[in-house]
Amino acid sequence: MTMTSPYVPAPLAIARAVRELDDVFTWTFDVPGGFAFKPGQFNMLYVHGVGEVPISISGDPAAPERLVHTIRAVGVVTRVMDKLGEGDVMGVRGPYGSAWPLDEARRRNVIVIAGGLGLAPLRPAILGLLAHRADYGRITILYGARTPGDILYRQELETWRGRFDLRVEAIVDHAGRDWFGPVGVVTRLLDGVPVTADDAAFVCGPEIMMRFAARELANRGVSRETIWISMERSMKCGIGLCGHCQLGGSFMCKDGPVYRLDRIAPYMQVPEL
Amino acid sequence: MDDLARVLAAHPFLAELDPDHVKFLVGCTKSVRFRAGDHLVREGDREDTLYLIRQGGVAIEMRRAGGEVVCVETVGAGDVIGISLLAEAASHLDCRARESVVAFAIDSACLLRKMTEEPRLGFALAMRLLARTYERLSRARLQHLDIYR
Repeated sequence: MTMTSPYVPAPLAIARAVRELDDVFTWTFDVPGGFAFKPGQFNMLYVHGVGEVPISISGDPAAPERLVHTIRAVGVVTRVMDKLGEGDVMGVRGPYGSAWPLDEARRRNVIVIAGGLGLAPLRPAILGLLAHRADYGRITILYGARTPGDILYRQELETWRGRFDLRVEAIVDHAGRDWFGPVGVVTRLLDGVPVTADDAAFVCGPEIMMRFAARELANRGVSRETIWISMERSMKCGIGLCGHCQLGGSFMCKDGPVYRLDRIAPYMQVPEL
Repeated sequence: MDDLARVLAAHPFLAELDPDHVKFLVGCTKSVRFRAGDHLVREGDREDTLYLIRQGGVAIEMRRAGGEVVCVETVGAGDVIGISLLAEAASHLDCRARESVVAFAIDSACLLRKMTEEPRLGFALAMRLLARTYERLSRARLQHLDIYR
């Protein structure tokens, strides 16, 4: 798919809509010509007459003919989206933003830490890592969710967990007795993971979780130069012009959402940024 | 006795503790085993034992109104149960073995006596208990924020 202008959304019909959780759904758009993107990038999705929101791409970068978005119904636009379904037409423009550094991570161990819906922007990166499994050292996926019922892509996590060349651990904030996995904060999972100074870490989730995770990784010796996080702000134009998502000297839609920790950390603690 | 001191010293909670202090603790310590479903601690009971988990997982649970049990954290090998020891408080939660659990059980009254008799040991253990308490408090605060909602 080729965009005629970065401001003009292309009409795409929802080919498949899947309910993931009570308030989370996944849409797949068929794009016969392919929609090339890099893991970590996002699109602006436009609901005609309602508004436009930035949504991370959750699909497989090796299958560009299927554009996939996982969305939580949390604001005005996404709540309207929640009522739409197969056959409805959306405006799509993108892809925008920076990507998870899969090339830079080659030959390193990779630790992926995701929290809640933060697994969605990381899914393309995980699929990319697995597609070139031999290029990487140990791959560890640590996932935190609110409850067992809030675990995203549960079936796929189970599939990944069944692989012998990958370690997958999930933890929840609280659970009943029918949950046999660990309970606690996602950083607890790091206790059982061998970590070396030059490991690469990809972290995505609520900002406070990312701060804690980054701190824990740093405490274990991982360099801030090999930790990447995906930030979230209210992107509008998507091309670094409107300034809506400005963070210090950076425009998150263009320079982010994926940042190397040492470049973004100073801004993470600044009030109202 | 020497064997118990050796394995006791290998527990992360006592890592790098003065070997003489570890030997001093042996008299307060016994090795215990719990079956899955057994309670190490029950809500409302005085915590009279400090458990150093060696093997297995323990669920820290609370009951909602109506009796629904909610697990708020799980702990495992290397962790400690009974850190309210210094507060002399009754437990506000249940600690239940999720599987077969092997632990050191250190009698709290005996431990406090030893900590008083040997202030350097008392200081060292109090600092470790404080560190564990702080770690658990940090995690509880993060969970309290309900960040994934």
